[in-house]
Order: sequence, then C-alpha cells, then structure tokens
Amino acid sequence: MNDFLTAAVGFVLAMLALGLVSILRGPGDTDRMMAAQLIGTGGIAVLLLLGTVARVPAAVDVALTLALLATFASIAFVKKGLSSLEANGTEPTGEE
Amino acid sequence: MSLVRDIMTIAAVSAGAFFFLAGTVGLLRFPDTLTRLHALTKADNLGLGLIVVGLLPQAGSLRDGLKLVSIWLLVMLAGATVSQLIARNARQDETAK
Amino acid sequence: MTAGIMAGRWWLSAASRAAWFSCLWLVLAGADIGDIPAATAAVVAATWTSLRLLEPSTSRRSLRAILQLVFFFLVHSIVAGADVARRALDPRLPLRPGFVAYPTRLPRGLRRNVFTTLTSLLPGTVPTGERDGQLFYHCLDIEQPVLAELAAEEAALVRALYNE
Repeated sequence: MNDFLTAAVGFVLAMLALGLVSILRGPGDTDRMMAAQLIGTGGIAVLLLLGTVARVPAAVDVALTLALLATFASIAFVKKGLSSLEANGTEPTGEE
Repeated sequence: MSLVRDIMTIAAVSAGAFFFLAGTVGLLRFPDTLTRLHALTKADNLGLGLIVVGLLPQAGSLRDGLKLVSIWLLVMLAGATVSQLIARNARQDETAK
Repeated sequence: MTAGIMAGRWWLSAASRAAWFSCLWLVLAGADIGDIPAATAAVVAATWTSLRLLEPSTSRRSLRAILQLVFFFLVHSIVAGADVARRALDPRLPLRPGFVAYPTRLPRGLRRNVFTTLTSLLPGTVPTGERDGQLFYHCLDIEQPVLAELAAEEAALVRALYNE
C-alpha cells in the first residue's frame, strides 16, 4: 500500500512541477497567480498522501495551513488588481 | 476487509492522479489564461477530492477522516471563490489591453 | 415582529453557529482539556465574525432542497472535471471558448455571490464578473446549453435557501 501511495506522491509532484513550468511561462500576472492555486490543490494532495504514507499526522495540519495561505494570497492579489483598476476608472467592478 | 479498503484507496487515488494529469495537460495545451483557469480549477479540484476519498479508508479514526473531508471542503470553497476572482481579473486584463 | 422575537432569533443563530464552530475545532485540533482557553477564544472570534459578515437570515430553508443542492454541487464538480479532462486529453483539443451574458434575477450582494460561487463549478463555465446587471460567464464551449443550465442552478438555489 505504501509503495503505491509513495508512487502517487511522486506522480502528483511531477504534475505539479510541469504545471508550474507552464504557468511561469505564461504572459501575465494572472497566470503567475494561478501558480498559487495550483500549489493550493496539488501541494495539499501531496501533503495529505505523505501524511498517510509516513504516518505523520502533522502533515495534515500543514496542508490545512497551506490551504488557508493559498486562498489569502490569491484574494490579496485580486484585491490589489481590482483597486488599481478602480482608481484608473477603467470599469465598474461589480463590488458593492 | 483490509483488502477491500486497499482496493478502494488504489482506485480513488489513481483516479485522482489521472485528473491531476489532465489538469496539467490542460494547463500546457489550452490557448489562453481563462481556458487554462478552467483546467486548473475544475480538474485539480476533482483530483484532490478523489485523493481525499481514497485516503479515507486509510484514516486511523473518525476524526482523521472528518479532518480530511473538512480540508477538502475548505479547498473546494476557496477554489470556487478564488477562481471567479482570478477570472474577473483576467477578463479586465484582456479588456484593458 | 417585535424586538424581543428578533433578539431571540439572533441569539438562537449565534448559539447554533458557535456550536458548529466548536465541532469544527474538535475535528481540526482534537479534544484536549488544555486547549479550552484557545478553543473558546477561537469560537467566540469566529462566531462574532460570522455574525458581522453574514446576518441571520429570515428566509425559509428546506433541508431537502439544501441536500439536493449539495448533491447537484458534487455531481457538477465531477462532470466538470471529467469535461475538462476530456477536452484537454483529446488530440483535436475541442474548445470553442467565448463569453455568455446571463441575466440573473438574484439581487446584488450575498445571494448573487453565492450563485456565482456555485456556478463556478458548473461544467465549462467560470463567472468573470458582471456588466449592466448581467453576469458574464467564460465558457469552454459556447455551443453547450449554458444559459439553460445556469437557470436550472438558480432555481435550485432559490428553492434551497431563498424561498420567501
């Protein structure tokens, strides 16, 4: 069982690395911000798998923290982008 | 009993890994930011969900299982919220150009 | 409605939210006598924040419709993931991306935000904000019946949470 889960960790990590390459290649800031989202899902999957393979319950807590951090990073990024747009008066953003 | 649990784990984790593969292939092949966002959020969300489902039979206690599920729910909710914010940003980038 | 009933309802929803947050604490941090001060502080802070951000609602909620909505949500996220996977792995890369405007009847603010969050998991659509009171969706395939699916989702949401 552990061999299988370890292989799954390796596979998801490889997918994560490939995805990061494509995102870093991307043209805009938005593409780069998607890297945080990618780590937010792929990284958490890896941590949860590792927590089970290595019987380290703390890995699950790390995954939880990573989920929160990735979310706040993305929201901070979007907030910053939106407020600069509002200042320029480019477009109403639909915020209340 | 343990064999049944292991088979469930192998099936669900393999399916989850497959969706991570699909998400990454989508990221590499899709033409622009918004279509890549679809690949990232939809495929990876499902991949993580399946991996959580696969780890549930291996969880030591009810609490461990519930914790896995709450992390997944948090990630889903966060992904659904953040993906539309990123999409809004991407559309404004496109119209601003 | 008298002020007394209002206050009673407010306390009821504060108590039920605090109970939910306590359960969440027990799941995430475990049960330990030494944790009680930290747990109490966290539950009080979470309840206060939730009452500030999300005022107790007076709409009638149907448990059956909520369960149906959760079921919809799960089925849709599975279909959406499979749909993206199929398109990504197809050698011909079948994409017809474009924008669709959806005129929603939900009022601005919380309800509309709940709707866009739900629909961001629908197959092939991501909400990208609004213009002239219409929601703008980016679709992977604009030839799919996107508008009909969005309308069905809105009806399910109204049945579950906003039935007045």
